[in-house]
Amino acid sequence: MKRALAACLALAMTPALPSLPAQNQKPEIAKVTLKVGDTAPDFTLLSDQWKPVKLSDYRGKKNVLLAIYVLAFTGG
Amino acid sequence: MDSPAANAAFAKQINIKFPLLSDMNKKMLREYGILKGYDVQNETYQWAQRSNIVIDKNGVVQHIEEGDSAVDPNTAMSVCVDLHKKQTSK
Repeated sequence: MKRALAACLALAMTPALPSLPAQNQKPEIAKVTLKVGDTAPDFTLLSDQWKPVKLSDYRGKKNVLLAIYVLAFTGG
Repeated sequence: MDSPAANAAFAKQINIKFPLLSDMNKKMLREYGILKGYDVQNETYQWAQRSNIVIDKNGVVQHIEEGDSAVDPNTAMSVCVDLHKKQTSK
């Protein structure tokens, strides 16, 4: 089953601050502009092997699952 | 924010086989509209909304989950599996 999931990319962002109450959220800063059916903007990000990974590298080859994790991997 | 080095250590620790990416300048997060701002002690800090996004082979977004629902990746995983089945049955 896992082979069927061609590519899984996880994006790790773990700031040093603890998580905060939802009321501190400022929605005007982040506009979730992406919608189902949109073409995903291309990006180039460094992998854990210090190699650039482009979304477009997977175009025509694999489906991509982007998992954006915050405050997940460090003690922060 | 994790550097590639920190991600490498984590990937080794739990034996991850897929790339762990770092958005050190938050460019991709901004473009995807998932960078959130939080006020703490008169300062604004920005980091990403937890999300799962499924993008098909043609680069088209097929599924988006944000916030608490994105903590469990199983829904996004099954979207991937269904997508793959659909593509291979053609």
